[in-house]
Amino acid sequence: MAKYSGNWTSITHTATANTTNLVDSTYSFFLQGGSATQRLEISEIYIGGESAAALACTFKFSRDTTVAATGISGVNNTLTDASATAPGTLAVIGNVATTKPQRGTGTLLSLSINTYGGVMRWVASPDQKITVVTATQPLGEASLSSLTGAGISSGHVLYEVV
Amino acid sequence: MSSKRRKEGYLMIDNRVNEGVPDDMMRAAGLPAGSGKGLFESATISCSHCQALVVLNQDRTRERGYCRKCDSYLCDGCEALRAMSFECKTFNQTVDEVLEATTKQDVSGSSRVILLS
Repeated sequence: MAKYSGNWTSITHTATANTTNLVDSTYSFFLQGGSATQRLEISEIYIGGESAAALACTFKFSRDTTVAATGISGVNNTLTDASATAPGTLAVIGNVATTKPQRGTGTLLSLSINTYGGVMRWVASPDQKITVVTATQPLGEASLSSLTGAGISSGHVLYEVV
Repeated sequence: MSSKRRKEGYLMIDNRVNEGVPDDMMRAAGLPAGSGKGLFESATISCSHCQALVVLNQDRTRERGYCRKCDSYLCDGCEALRAMSFECKTFNQTVDEVLEATTKQDVSGSSRVILLS
């Protein structure tokens, strides 16, 4: 079905503990199912550090225990196949929301890089992609955010609406 | 022919242009010591039971968790549970249950009687 690139640009991260409201525009993204039955498969995450000085940061890609709601924006979402047709219901992606998402303790991927030019790329095996299912917790949303360090980064997440 | 390596993902952390990340931070993130310096590349596995990603430590000597029932690698937490209960419940089964429960809720929530004259 439709494959998307969700990408963020020059975000200055706020270090945020688990189960705490993420701060608008200071985390990479959250990705949420667009409906109660939607299934998303995440195949790649890329982070490129852009800080002007050395800064070690730990990023967490985790399922969220509170999902974002209303007023969602902040992340560019683009079909990767120019000839593809968008599905009737799109996934929900952003880093701004009225109801703030909260990262849970169930971390999917923990990553430390020095955002002074450091680069991180994770690619899933074709049959071991990370899934986001429904639009409610515990499986309906995942987010990438900083646990420690206020690094600046751009990057993307590649996912498919199944 | 199926291979265990077919289920491996790929992780690359490139800190070649900076001083890198201290080992204590990398260990806290579940990554091997030294992986924060220079170019680090590793295979990753996705736990079949909880979908957590595990970066394979090439220096590990302990046996890695593996479930014969679903023919997949497990993270250490799920391997401990499997060793105690011998149960196999894959993440895909959990997803199916969640979707089924959601669908049932939708159906019951939108049920209505249509009267035809």
